[in-house]
Amino acid sequence: MAKPFSQFGGVCVAGLAVLSSLSVSGDAAEPKPRAVLAERHRKLLEEHCQGCHGAEKQKGKFRLDDLPLGIGDVATAERWQKVLNAMNSGEMPPEEEKQPDRQRKADFLEELSQVMVVARKALADQHGVIAMRRLNRREYRNTLRELLGVEVDVSELPADTGGSGFDTVGAGLFLTSTQFEQYEAIGREALEMAFSAQVPSSKERKLRVEMESRLPIFDKRHQEGLGARDRANAWIQAVDAAAARPENAAKVAELRKIAQTDDALRYHWKKIPGAPNPTEFGFVKESEVNPAIVYLYRNHVEFIRYDEYYRTLPRLDTGGYLTSQSRVGGGNNVMALFGFPIPLHFPAGEYTVRVRVAAVPGVPEARHFLELCMGSSMPALSLHHITGTMEQPQVLEIPFTLTKANVDRGSRNLFIRERGANDGKSDQRLKEAQVRNGFGPEVALWVDWMEIEERRVPPAPGIRALTIPLEDRGAGVAPQPLRAALEQFVVEAYRGVSAPAGMVDRVLGIYAARQKLGDGHREALKHALAAVLSSPRFLFRAEPSENGEHRPLTGLELATRLSYFLQGGPPDDALRAAATRGELLRPEGLRAQTERLLNSPESVRFVRPFVTQWLGLDRLDLFQFSKALYPRFDDAMRSAAREEVLETYAYLLRENAPLTDLLRADYVVTNALLAEYYGLSGVRGDAFRKVLLPAGSPRGGLLGMAAILAMGSNGQRTNPVERGAWVLRKLLHEPPPPAPANVPEIARLAGKALTTRERLQAHQEEPQCASCHRKIDPIGFGLENFDAAGQWRTKDTYQGLDAAGKPDPKVRKTWTIEASATLHKGPSFKDYFELKEIVAGRRESFARGFTSALIEYALGRPCGFSDDALVDGIVRKTASEAFAARSFIHALVQSKPFQSK
Amino acid sequence: MNPSLPRREFLRTSTALIALPFLDSLGFRRLASAASRDRASARPKRMIFLGFGWGVTQESWYPSMEEKGRNYQLPAGLEPLAAHRNDFTIVQGLQNRYTNNGHYGSTFWLTGANEFGEPGQSFHNSISVDQVAAAHLGQETRFDSLVLDCGAAARPSGHGLGLSLSWDRSGKPMSGPKNPVEAFHRLFAKDTTPMEQQQAMLAQRRSVLDQALENARELQRGLSKTDKDKLDEYFQGIRDIETRLSREEKWLGVPRPVPPISEPKPDLLGYEEIQLMYDIMLAAFQTDSTRVVTYRQPVSTLLTSLEVRIDAHTMSHYPGKGPEYLEASEKRDQAQSRLLAHLLGKLKAAREPDGSSLFDHTTVVYGSNIRTGHLLDNCPTLIAGRGAGVKLGQNVVVPKDTPLCNAWLALLQGSGVSVDRHGDSTGVLKELLA
Repeated sequence: MAKPFSQFGGVCVAGLAVLSSLSVSGDAAEPKPRAVLAERHRKLLEEHCQGCHGAEKQKGKFRLDDLPLGIGDVATAERWQKVLNAMNSGEMPPEEEKQPDRQRKADFLEELSQVMVVARKALADQHGVIAMRRLNRREYRNTLRELLGVEVDVSELPADTGGSGFDTVGAGLFLTSTQFEQYEAIGREALEMAFSAQVPSSKERKLRVEMESRLPIFDKRHQEGLGARDRANAWIQAVDAAAARPENAAKVAELRKIAQTDDALRYHWKKIPGAPNPTEFGFVKESEVNPAIVYLYRNHVEFIRYDEYYRTLPRLDTGGYLTSQSRVGGGNNVMALFGFPIPLHFPAGEYTVRVRVAAVPGVPEARHFLELCMGSSMPALSLHHITGTMEQPQVLEIPFTLTKANVDRGSRNLFIRERGANDGKSDQRLKEAQVRNGFGPEVALWVDWMEIEERRVPPAPGIRALTIPLEDRGAGVAPQPLRAALEQFVVEAYRGVSAPAGMVDRVLGIYAARQKLGDGHREALKHALAAVLSSPRFLFRAEPSENGEHRPLTGLELATRLSYFLQGGPPDDALRAAATRGELLRPEGLRAQTERLLNSPESVRFVRPFVTQWLGLDRLDLFQFSKALYPRFDDAMRSAAREEVLETYAYLLRENAPLTDLLRADYVVTNALLAEYYGLSGVRGDAFRKVLLPAGSPRGGLLGMAAILAMGSNGQRTNPVERGAWVLRKLLHEPPPPAPANVPEIARLAGKALTTRERLQAHQEEPQCASCHRKIDPIGFGLENFDAAGQWRTKDTYQGLDAAGKPDPKVRKTWTIEASATLHKGPSFKDYFELKEIVAGRRESFARGFTSALIEYALGRPCGFSDDALVDGIVRKTASEAFAARSFIHALVQSKPFQSK
Repeated sequence: MNPSLPRREFLRTSTALIALPFLDSLGFRRLASAASRDRASARPKRMIFLGFGWGVTQESWYPSMEEKGRNYQLPAGLEPLAAHRNDFTIVQGLQNRYTNNGHYGSTFWLTGANEFGEPGQSFHNSISVDQVAAAHLGQETRFDSLVLDCGAAARPSGHGLGLSLSWDRSGKPMSGPKNPVEAFHRLFAKDTTPMEQQQAMLAQRRSVLDQALENARELQRGLSKTDKDKLDEYFQGIRDIETRLSREEKWLGVPRPVPPISEPKPDLLGYEEIQLMYDIMLAAFQTDSTRVVTYRQPVSTLLTSLEVRIDAHTMSHYPGKGPEYLEASEKRDQAQSRLLAHLLGKLKAAREPDGSSLFDHTTVVYGSNIRTGHLLDNCPTLIAGRGAGVKLGQNVVVPKDTPLCNAWLALLQGSGVSVDRHGDSTGVLKELLA
């Protein structure tokens, strides 16, 4: 492999002696430290530090001469941390003392911070021990869904993603008393929902609303609008007539002193004898003191013209069009949002929403997108590219979950609207269109009807297990069937493991006690089952191992581990059956089941959480993107950009394509919306699919993805440091040390008219900055041709603000982007494309980083140095299979650590 | 803890904080109220800890280090507190020596723990000062402490790991109400269930917990040492509930206090949200529902409510940015100081039965582990209230890098909590003592 970078992947740090690691069993007699500072640095300490912190003198009670270069325990780590902190903050050596050479200091700090990272990692190494862990929030929700067939609200539970690792890592998964009670409550709620869903409904739960049913309302509002304009003019005339009366002349002259215009004068109508009250003309009470309300109807007559335009459109007898909202009113406002309240007797559960819709020709393609939303001003639930034509409308089928939270909050209003209808720019669009055509935005979407229908799903395994009545019955339930039902329920809840001795008796005890308290059968049963759902064998993934020895997992345990890895939930019937038959304990059987799970749509429950956390995609939500600077990167585009990352990995997995396509590819995986953003033509519809790129396109691979580039910004400007660090962390597997504390920020360039490069150049001046930034910044420079929203650009501008916060013309600079740079101890590149080639050449480092992430996610513990052999093995194996995406999964699943406690 | 001990025995052995003579709830209440009438000094001590994540504007929040003592010029960032300047003290020079993460404004702020202190663990924390206080000051109230948080706003507000400012005695994060409405309900929700039925339900609740413990014991038998440690969290969670049930039992039949404020409006974010939380703290003290409160305040939504469009993290790095970032940072300081002034004013105005004010018996700690940007030394620290006998009206400058925990220890001892160390304390911060 070429050596464009200094070699310090996870295993080997430049200038670091790597010593033999602890043995996997953790019983090594004399563990030698893995993190060792090179001997040559001793000299710097001797020359610059030990005069005050040596054998003779220990200023601040701190001594350096006896500090070992190998960091093998927490105490030594803390002493070195102190050295690092003092030098990073510039506190040491003291200002008045002789300072080390800048280059030498930067090298020392670079190595010390890397060694500290290694030391912390080595000290935290769990040596292969996977501690029992509870289900995280996501797995818990999935587990209840699979068990009971209901979708619960888990937002009150801790998110588990606060730590630095994955949400599967046991060390970050606590359980507190509050949580225990939440589990009880959520469990009862889930059971309540599941029980309710079993009540056979006599009526079909389906509702269709025809768009043309709105037309009479449209016409009514239109007439009202016309009337309001006439009423406004009538009131104005009446007031003006009163003001014109000769006997009021003196009074009016007096008022004219404070109210020059006629409109202003009418604010004082009460003082003009004979002027009528606007409420007599049908206006609201507030108009008495604020005639602006009346003027609105006089001034904003565009709604009338817009209504008149609407009335000329074809096919109003069988459907209608989604319009823009106009000011004040008129019939078109009725049509802007179309939808209905979901009937009150529809319970929480699974539904299908259908919309028959067509794209109206003659408007820009970008307007042929439809949003589904709950509540008129709420964010869209989903976005759909409409490809049906007026001749052949399409029927959208959208799966929809009415949640318990929706039901509790009474939010049942389901709407469709044109994309971006509530982006706050309706007025602007209206004005622009009126200048052009005199009435308003032309319609873009025709809707025939919209409907919602309950989706009947077969009872989930947990409910199937309950072969007893779920509702209160006069006679009650006989003890024997009750016990049998509970036993079967426990087997399902415990992922195939039977109830331990005494368990069912205890649950029956709760049932009996609740009945004694006055509960009926249904309520008592719920409480009894909720106890199962808050018991440790349900909440924890237990793999008992008496003496803590590494033992092979049993078939069922392996099924559980595999299923939570690849589907984020409990094993299904087929997997449990394979485990019971012993197939999982054979490599080919395990491989077949792994393939089956990867082929299943449920694998999305692996793809989404894993990729989101691996690449840190939640950073995309940290910032509001400036609507003024990046109008096209709205919420819908941001979400499409995120989907691209997820869908691309899903594509690789589906096709078993090389993972290294993430570094460089001649295609993107996109939908119509994002394709338009990327300037690719001919992509239609919402589905993400592979699209070949034209030659010379900067897209293809993670580095060209809008989401990745946008994460390296703050929504306003690019952040080359964040981008560079991300590439080091995620693509090159050379994570820079965490941002050090107490390094003073360079403030002298703030607010000056400089290019981004000039600004960042300051990092090279101070050794404590240069030690990391000389690796980070050049990569960021190479990506500067992408703006904060991931669009290609050749120029950038800095615009400073004055004291009042307004753009200051004196502090403005525009420059042509210069994306060439030289990597620290590595090659030079002349532009983005060359940088991308260099990164693409580091396939093995990338594979290694990916493998470490996969191990951490799948095994639920940090990937430590004791995993080196495992990582090496997986990388070797996958390299021999051209880094095929599935080979990583198989290599890990087939490994001993995956199959052992 | 040996889980095979019967539960009742456990309650006797390890929850010493439920003093047994008080188990007779009537007797206990007589005793408590008699004590309260005695003399002013016997009024209960209270503590409030307010954490604000991303630090302050260092240039305009701190008084000059040269102007030690009383005669210092109030800096712009503290200007809204001018009316109270004789009633709070700024301490400069404190830090948590083990904290190295520039994004952890609250994780170790009240604990002083070393994240890497336990070999074989990638994260470690220990009990926070408020929970030490709660174990002593919280025995006679319905809630031993009130742990308040800002929910989803915490992450972009620079608080770091954790679910609130509070960490329990095993170093696990604690959670509590995440908005004013939840906090209000926690304190004042009425239970209209008849007493008898409440008792029956408590008994039933106990039996459910007994079952849960039994299930855990059954599982524990086959587990390795590491797994047992993890399962201990489950045991402890259940025991914490039992401790609380015992407390609830004591309070059974004692009606919830009439709230001195009306139920807050939902969905308020930022400035108004913080102010409401402060009002709820005051209400909690006025009704003696608890004596220890922590609050992890929102910064991100505070900015939004102040119509600042810059994200909180970027703002905290204002030194390297343009003037609008500095302005946002100062606007934040001003708003936070105004809010604190509001709280201090209310504490002073609230009368105790003996004519003294709540302020006379309360300690308010207001600060963060982060100074500015990623700077973790000279943590912003403001202490107000006369509850711990701290000298007020001062600009106290202590030797650089003095442990924050020395200040916490001084406040604990000053509030009558007899402990001799906390976190990485090396002694009591003498400079605080009057």
